[in-house]
Amino acid sequence: MLLAAIAAIWIVHLDRTVTREFQGRLWSVPAHVYAAPLELYAGATISANDLELELNALHYRRGDPASGPGIYRRTGNAFDLHARRVRFIDEQRDAERVSIHADTASITSMRLADGGDLPVFRLDPPVIGSLFPVHGEDRLIVAPADVPPLLRDGIKLIEDRRFDEHRGVDVYGVLRATWANLRAGHVVQGGSTLTQQLVKNYFLSDEQTFGRKATEAVMAMRLEAHYAKQDILVAYLNEVYLGQDGARAIHGFGLGSEYYFAKPLGELGPAELALLIGLVKGPSLYDPRKHPERALARRNLVLKEFGDAHLIDAAAAGREAASPLGLRPPGGSYVPAYLDLVRRDLKRDYAEADLAAAGLSVYTSLDLRAQASAQRALSRNLQKLDLKSPVRGGHLEGAVIVVEPSSGDVVAVVGGRELDTSGFDRALDARRPIGSLVKPAVYLTALESGRYTAATLIEDAPIELKLADGSVWAPQNFERQVYGQVPLARALAESMNLATVRLGLDLGLPKVGATLERLGLESSPALNPSMLLGTVEMSPLEVVQVYTTLADGGFRTRLRAVRAVLDEHGQPLKSFKVQVEAAAPPAAVYQLDRMLMLVPTRGTARGAAARLPPGLVVAGKTGTSSDTRDSWFAGFTGNYLSVVWVGYDDNRETGLTGAQGALPVWADTMASLKPVSFDPVVPDQVEDRWIGFDDGLETNPTCSSDAVVIGVPKDSPLPLNPKCASAPSPHATPGDKIKEWLKRIVH
Amino acid sequence: MVKTHRSLTLPAALGTALLLAGCPSPWPRPSPPSNPGTIPAPPSAPAPASAPPLPPAAPRPPSPPRENHLSPATRSLVTQAHRLLARGDIDGASSTLDRALRIEPMNPLLWIELGHVRLTEGDAHQAEVCARKALALASGDHAAQAEAGRVLADALRAQGRNPEAQEVESRAYMH
Repeated sequence: MLLAAIAAIWIVHLDRTVTREFQGRLWSVPAHVYAAPLELYAGATISANDLELELNALHYRRGDPASGPGIYRRTGNAFDLHARRVRFIDEQRDAERVSIHADTASITSMRLADGGDLPVFRLDPPVIGSLFPVHGEDRLIVAPADVPPLLRDGIKLIEDRRFDEHRGVDVYGVLRATWANLRAGHVVQGGSTLTQQLVKNYFLSDEQTFGRKATEAVMAMRLEAHYAKQDILVAYLNEVYLGQDGARAIHGFGLGSEYYFAKPLGELGPAELALLIGLVKGPSLYDPRKHPERALARRNLVLKEFGDAHLIDAAAAGREAASPLGLRPPGGSYVPAYLDLVRRDLKRDYAEADLAAAGLSVYTSLDLRAQASAQRALSRNLQKLDLKSPVRGGHLEGAVIVVEPSSGDVVAVVGGRELDTSGFDRALDARRPIGSLVKPAVYLTALESGRYTAATLIEDAPIELKLADGSVWAPQNFERQVYGQVPLARALAESMNLATVRLGLDLGLPKVGATLERLGLESSPALNPSMLLGTVEMSPLEVVQVYTTLADGGFRTRLRAVRAVLDEHGQPLKSFKVQVEAAAPPAAVYQLDRMLMLVPTRGTARGAAARLPPGLVVAGKTGTSSDTRDSWFAGFTGNYLSVVWVGYDDNRETGLTGAQGALPVWADTMASLKPVSFDPVVPDQVEDRWIGFDDGLETNPTCSSDAVVIGVPKDSPLPLNPKCASAPSPHATPGDKIKEWLKRIVH
Repeated sequence: MVKTHRSLTLPAALGTALLLAGCPSPWPRPSPPSNPGTIPAPPSAPAPASAPPLPPAAPRPPSPPRENHLSPATRSLVTQAHRLLARGDIDGASSTLDRALRIEPMNPLLWIELGHVRLTEGDAHQAEVCARKALALASGDHAAQAEAGRVLADALRAQGRNPEAQEVESRAYMH
């Protein structure tokens, strides 16, 4: 009696568990995450070939566009495109025909098919993944209508022939399996139904105990009692484990198709479906990348069964069995580090459970081209650097972040040199001393004080400081030299430690710390003298936030991976608007930026030019932490800002300065992004002037070979180089403005 | 609410945008033609004694003219943003201006538009920052500076900072 009551309670409990969980999963689609759509407009630097690559990445096919959406025709450099119906943050756009002309450099014109105006047009936002919250499970959900009939019938044939008849547990199947196993002397068949496998995956561990088997059987039967066969089958197809990619578990046939064949499930042929179905029995045993022969034999066995059961005709089965595995590297859109940032952004506003709920769409700023370029630049350069490294057999690591400073859009996040890392995301989590990356904060503080300009001479000379703990701190320059009197601009460009420490002490540590915080550092830095040389620890992402303010004229824009979240009906739940703060005076930031532009021309980052397009103007700063444990570069062009860190995970010395380690990665990344020159607007109160890089005296380029441009408050009295008598007076130096104006008159 | 907001001067802003659209395009700005290894973007040095003087046809202007305008792509997005805003769809207008700003991030006219939208949705602080950014980017373009100044003054008033608003309105470019 008591036992029966306990059993009844147990069954009710299992029934509740199974319905609650299944309800939640079955009718909830995890949040889909989208990359930024590509904007097309006349003048956009997208060549005809680029455009076709983009279309192909979005699975647009060549053909007759009149036959339906998803098809385009290319005639020379003219495209006739039948764009799909697609949801954007701000509108649902219906399928439409457009014609686009491009040349070898850019889009030249666009029209609607009916001849109407089309000033701007977006391609579909690419899907980059979904936010399934448990374990490292990744999957792309397949809707019931999108399950190919051969997959539906094939999986039943191979895994559970009596699926349509049984009620969760297949007694006949168990008997048959037991008989087969007894005859063979070992386990050759499993008697589990698809429903039992699903329940096991959902709720239970892998241990083979009687108790677990009983629980599984009861849950399977309760599931069948509540839900239709089709729902259970689709859930199974979306749930099943199909392989492992580092820390990422490949679940479901939708993602399996992308992972092994780099195309959507609907486009798979019989041989490809047979391979995936065959994998269910043992994803690592039959891993087609690791054990191609075993996988081929398994696939062909499945194909033969297809033929025998008349799912396909026998001749086709034979033909398919002769085809190669047809594996393709997974598409370039697996972006674990970026998704990490997306998850963190969303966690502020959503519980994990909500992200797995009703079909949210998360629209991000990710630019897949930038992401791929940054990943490539990091991997290639680290490979080369490993060979040169003094550390034998060392494995350098790194991180790259790319943003658009003005919008705060984070367009790429690379968390390590290989894609399938342990989940440790260096771009977000590795907090390291930033070295000389801190110096711009010191110099900005100086310019803001009004007591210094870029031409002001400061003393680069040895200094000893008695610290609070009684020890003596005697910093040195990197090359162990001493430079004497140098203008501010040169001290920063050549990253002089002694001059910077003296300047920072003169300004006061609290002022420098406050500048760092205004620029975007979220925690207060410890105010000891060594902070002036960058003992403060920051993650690459934090460095990005600080430098974004420098790249954007003193306006601090909140970094943004997520632009908006829409619900299942396409209604906005939350949009992450551009949030800007006025953090530093534009006039002072302009003067600093002018100095940062000297770093790649006269200073520590001279090596960048060879890797960048000729004539490209960039600004930035190298950073090297003590004993070369961390190699940094932070810099910007007119359209992108990027921060690169290179070092060892165990914090060993790399033997690399910022210029040797991080800078090549930075330059290669930027070079591939169609960069435009950094060309800041000259504020009303500021003007450009020429000074000698070594002596800081006002000059002009015809007189001094080391003349450089700096920005100074208008009418600043600058000491004149006596040898350059013809040096211009301040008023006759309208600089860039006159050049621009002349250009307009000439054209 | 949208219709009655006192600071909503969108038709005027659109007018400015359309009016300016015919001017030669400084956006996107071309990269200066300099060689690698040489000094980037040098200001054209005023002629030293030995060099020929500036051509007579080009007298030195006290302040070189500089006019910002919208490209066809961003103009169409601004028009669309106005349409959405008129319907009360502030988020839509905001996202649409976001698109435009991604195409021309340094165009002060777009920051002015965004300032209007922020004012309309009652975020006077963000409106103020957008206007300040527009002002910084509009350096040398008096028409754009005046428009940005009006948004800034409105945004300051909306925060009860009337003396600051008056100070902005007294600036030279406002007249």
